[in-house]
Amino acid sequence: MTDIKKLIKKIDKLEPISRISQKVLSIIEDPESSASELSEIISYDQAVTANLLKMCNSSYFGLSRQIDSVHHAIVFLGIDQVAKIVLMSCAAKNLKQKQSGYDLQENELWRHSVASALITRDLIEKKGQKQNYLIFTAALLKDIGKLVLSQHVGDSFEEINSLVTKHGLSFAEAEQKVIGIDHAELGAMIADKWKLSSEIVDIIRNHHQPKKSLKNKFETCVVHLADIICMMLGIGLGADGLAYRLDNSMLEYLEFTEIDIQIIMAGFGEKLEKVEELVGIS
Amino acid sequence: MNVIVGVADMKVSNDLDSMVVTYSLGSCIGIGVYDEVARAGGIAHFMLPESKLDLTKAQKNPYMFADTCIPRLFKSMYKLGATKQKMRVIVVGGAQILDSKGFFNIGKRNCMAVKKIFWKNNVMVSYKDVEGSVNRTLKLTIKSGEFRLKTSGGKEIEI
Repeated sequence: MTDIKKLIKKIDKLEPISRISQKVLSIIEDPESSASELSEIISYDQAVTANLLKMCNSSYFGLSRQIDSVHHAIVFLGIDQVAKIVLMSCAAKNLKQKQSGYDLQENELWRHSVASALITRDLIEKKGQKQNYLIFTAALLKDIGKLVLSQHVGDSFEEINSLVTKHGLSFAEAEQKVIGIDHAELGAMIADKWKLSSEIVDIIRNHHQPKKSLKNKFETCVVHLADIICMMLGIGLGADGLAYRLDNSMLEYLEFTEIDIQIIMAGFGEKLEKVEELVGIS
Repeated sequence: MNVIVGVADMKVSNDLDSMVVTYSLGSCIGIGVYDEVARAGGIAHFMLPESKLDLTKAQKNPYMFADTCIPRLFKSMYKLGATKQKMRVIVVGGAQILDSKGFFNIGKRNCMAVKKIFWKNNVMVSYKDVEGSVNRTLKLTIKSGEFRLKTSGGKEIEI
């Protein structure tokens, strides 16, 4: 079994999610904050601003006019949407890298992360709930633990895969058994170290077993389901394939039928080309 | 030249320099066909079993559903001179997540849809690798008619 302490030390070698994303998160959390505050913070960072404008002008958002400033982006897309684009832009650097242990080529983990985050929006909309940046951010970062665990998964792949294929364990359960920790738990530690909110940490930790989330059940169930839909669509899958367990209580809790899921899959399938464009730009 | 078949997509070719590929089939199904006389082949990659789920979407993109995708794959092959009798037919995909109660059966339903359509139309399947919880990539080299399959956690094999 791997020395967990050594594994945790590797977290420090990751490039931390940039300060701008933490500031953006705190602005959205504060009901008294204004659009101009958000605009100011984003405008300080040229790279993020450039990326934001490229993404706003992609066909995914389908705006009829060219967006050429952060201010216009906020006017036309709203604070919530702009904040999410900035968060995506900040998360991209780490998640775009190739993860050999999981047999994920460059951009694959990123593709899965973006698609999961966008599917959460469709699920929330279907539930008639207000869009929630916590869910979006957690969905985007839920597999961040794979960055640290990848090499160890690669080293122990035969053993992990044998537990999955011959003994019916899920991939996360097999990671836990062989390495001593799974990517969800490690992801939660990373999010905590990056000082993301306790809610995001909890959702990431429990995204494969949402019934364990006591405080953020709805949010965790939505991220869990978005992850599963993304796997079924085959978006950004690696050596772990679809070997994750469905939490049946989640479907009962969210009151979704299989037909509802098929409708959401069809709707997302229609947007896939635009999603690809967004993945390419960010 | 690689001809990429995306999700809810279909491509056929008789260009001897081309390779038709569909990546990462989850619960979706990939159907590969090849006629060695016509030296033409193709792959369809559909997502869901039945177009009645949303007829407007099916009209916009028929490759999304088994019942609107599969007939188009065969008709496109006939246009390239292929015949049903000569065609090698490969069916892969339809994977599932681990679901003890079988609530989430989309992969299985996709497999059933293919079985039903092929049975009705007397299509014989030459090779099938479906269900399980692995994702699959299917490649077809038009010049040789060779199909190759890669499953997650496994090596690429000739089929």
